[in-house]
Amino acid sequence: MTPDQPVIHVVDDDPSFRTAITRLLRAAKYEVRSYASAAEFLASPPCAAPGCIVLDLKMPGASGLELQQSIASTDEPLPIIFLTGNGDFPASVRAMKAGAVDFLTKPVERQMLLRAIQNALNRNAVERSSRANLRELKDLYETLTAREREVLAHVVGGKLNKQIAFDLGTTERTIKAHRGSIMGKLGIQSVAELARMAQDLGIRPIR
Amino acid sequence: MGSVAPISILEFPRLIRLAVLLLSILFALPLPVAGSETQRTKRILMLFSENKFLPGNALVEEAARRVLEKSGHPLEFYAEYLDASRFPSQNHYRLFREYLRAKYGPRPPDLILAFLTTQFELAGQLPAELFPETPVVFGALTEDKIRRDRLGANATGLAVRMDVKGAIASILQLQPEIQRIVVVGGTAPLDKLFLRKTEEAARSLAGRIQFDFWVTRPMSEIRSQVASLLPRTVILFANMFRDAAGDTFVPEAAASLVAAAANVPMYVLIETNVGGGAVGGKVVHFEAAGRRVGELAQKVLEGTSPTSLPIEVYSEGAPIFDWRALRRWGISESRLPPGSIVRFRQPSLWELYGWYIIGALFVFVLQAAMIAALLLQRARRRQAEAELQRNREELAHVARISTVGELTTAVAHELNQPLGAILSNADAAEMFLKMEPPALDEVRDILADIRKDDQRASEVIRRMRDLLRKHELAPQAVEINAAVEEVLQLLSINASARKVTVKFEQTAGLPRVWCDPVHLQQVLLNLVVNGLEAMAEIPEDQRRLMVGAGHDGDGMVKVYVSDRGPGIPGDKLPKLFEPFFTTKKDGMGMGLSIARTIVEAHHGQIWAENNGDRGATFYFTVPVPKDALA
Repeated sequence: MTPDQPVIHVVDDDPSFRTAITRLLRAAKYEVRSYASAAEFLASPPCAAPGCIVLDLKMPGASGLELQQSIASTDEPLPIIFLTGNGDFPASVRAMKAGAVDFLTKPVERQMLLRAIQNALNRNAVERSSRANLRELKDLYETLTAREREVLAHVVGGKLNKQIAFDLGTTERTIKAHRGSIMGKLGIQSVAELARMAQDLGIRPIR
Repeated sequence: MGSVAPISILEFPRLIRLAVLLLSILFALPLPVAGSETQRTKRILMLFSENKFLPGNALVEEAARRVLEKSGHPLEFYAEYLDASRFPSQNHYRLFREYLRAKYGPRPPDLILAFLTTQFELAGQLPAELFPETPVVFGALTEDKIRRDRLGANATGLAVRMDVKGAIASILQLQPEIQRIVVVGGTAPLDKLFLRKTEEAARSLAGRIQFDFWVTRPMSEIRSQVASLLPRTVILFANMFRDAAGDTFVPEAAASLVAAAANVPMYVLIETNVGGGAVGGKVVHFEAAGRRVGELAQKVLEGTSPTSLPIEVYSEGAPIFDWRALRRWGISESRLPPGSIVRFRQPSLWELYGWYIIGALFVFVLQAAMIAALLLQRARRRQAEAELQRNREELAHVARISTVGELTTAVAHELNQPLGAILSNADAAEMFLKMEPPALDEVRDILADIRKDDQRASEVIRRMRDLLRKHELAPQAVEINAAVEEVLQLLSINASARKVTVKFEQTAGLPRVWCDPVHLQQVLLNLVVNGLEAMAEIPEDQRRLMVGAGHDGDGMVKVYVSDRGPGIPGDKLPKLFEPFFTTKKDGMGMGLSIARTIVEAHHGQIWAENNGDRGATFYFTVPVPKDALA
């Protein structure tokens, strides 16, 4: 088992169904972990591997939707596929709006389930990489001095060096020097990249 | 004497005026009727040959007297009886005559009425001698021996003809089968008269009928012998004042004695002998004769001379029969000659008690009708009760069907679990079999699980079907806690979907209740669903439903379902359990009404109260069998 092997988490209070799904997914060569309740899932040690959650919607205690909200607030939220015993439309709409990947009904067809899982895993991979990227960006941003961060904000605001120098009370040359430093630390070549990076980091441009 | 000048009445002298006045007064007075005597009281002396006690004498005397009294004259009646049959001697007659002379001689009567059987002297010689001025009107029993010349010049009257031949003819007409007639007679002079007449009549019929005249037997012998007469024999009772032994009788009484002893019908010749047991016959009518005598007497009193009135022979009179004797001898009335008079008709039971019978029948019919009506009512009530029960069950069924909507969620979820497991297990099995090598152990596990899930699904379906099936009340001992748990389990999905926390407060050691478990769960289902729905609008964290079961003081178990919803508005509280009452937009309003029907059919009670703080609680009680209370 490699650390990058995705893990599917099956959360369902019905033991029979839980066992069946687990078997099915293992037969499909997935790594599966199963939990009898949302509480049990939350109490278990966090899993760093990629993966997704197959979640029964109606369970006594914390309902599936509640779990969805608490998962969404973690560092590495896993995508959720809802499985339910009855097609409850309002619940399904709520679930989808809250960001579920898919909403399936029991009994579930193998192909539908596996496809949904694949989708989820893909999404998870994408999200993970983008989250990783973002983390990297943040680290790089941390290397900038306060002054450099200021200059960055003005640069992505579309201002000329002259203007920035005037706004910040320094010379154009100093600004140019900062720019070079920023570019070098962040490892980018163009202002466009800078702008995108700033956007990714959520930095507000100062116009 | 000269010319008379016309003068007005006022000029007439006073005397003339007085005369005119008197004349007018005279004219105004009622004038005496032409032909009548002056208003002096008339004295009438009635003479009888026989004694006072003979009914015949009483009849004629009264009849004659009544006619005379009707005339309006003031009259005085005197009656004297010769009693000739009992005192036949000449000496007795002489003394009677002298008695009359002494008594009435000084003031002779104005009229003599003589009622004779044999002593025609009473109408002839005696009055002629004693009271030559007095007119005589007589009534004689037979026309024999009446001769005008023997009677006084001042006498008239009527003779009653005794038509024995006619009497016998009518007997034969009534009973054509008769071959023999036994004639019973007496020894007194009048008796002999009757016998003589009978002999005359018998002679003319001698060929056809055998006549036996019993004249020498005393009454006791007659009585014993009439009891054993041969059939086709009848008795003709001629008359008996005195029998062969010399005992005297009132003829009517003698007739009764003979008739009572006889074993064949007995016929008589005179009116007064009918009624003592004789059948009757063509008899002499005394009353009518007496009336006729009275009419004649009235004429004479009014001035008609007796000689101008011819002596009449009175022979009228329809046959008279005794109804009781007719019945005794089985003689039908239809055989009687037309115009016959039937006396002593005993009113039938109907005639006597008709009204009572009608009344009793009426009451009886009324009673029978009432009983019938009551029975009918009871039958109808039973029928209605049965129908009511059927309707209740029907309604409960309908309501159960309509709770399908409520149950669908539970059913769907419950079924989809095992079904889903089976499908995924099957898919997994297929994949395991495709592996190299096939993971047969896994497949074996899978198959076992599939079997289990299949059973699980069947169980769910069976439970649901039980709940939905139309179902007669089948009471049994039920563990209430288990029943409540089952229902709550069923509705757990619903509850969690609505974010309601359900808490079941169990009381341990509750006795088993006597009820139909399916119906009981129906009630619980209804109340719990209502409770869940009631809290739809309140904040989620406040949604709590409490269900509990515990003892009730009266040997019942009390179950409650308590919510924290808005409660029940005061005006809706009394109508809560009525059919078609609902506060839900698309509710049918049947749930609570059916719940009440079920609870009350179990002899429990169901009611609702608003909680002190918020929400409402529904209670219902279920009976505990007596032996379980211990």
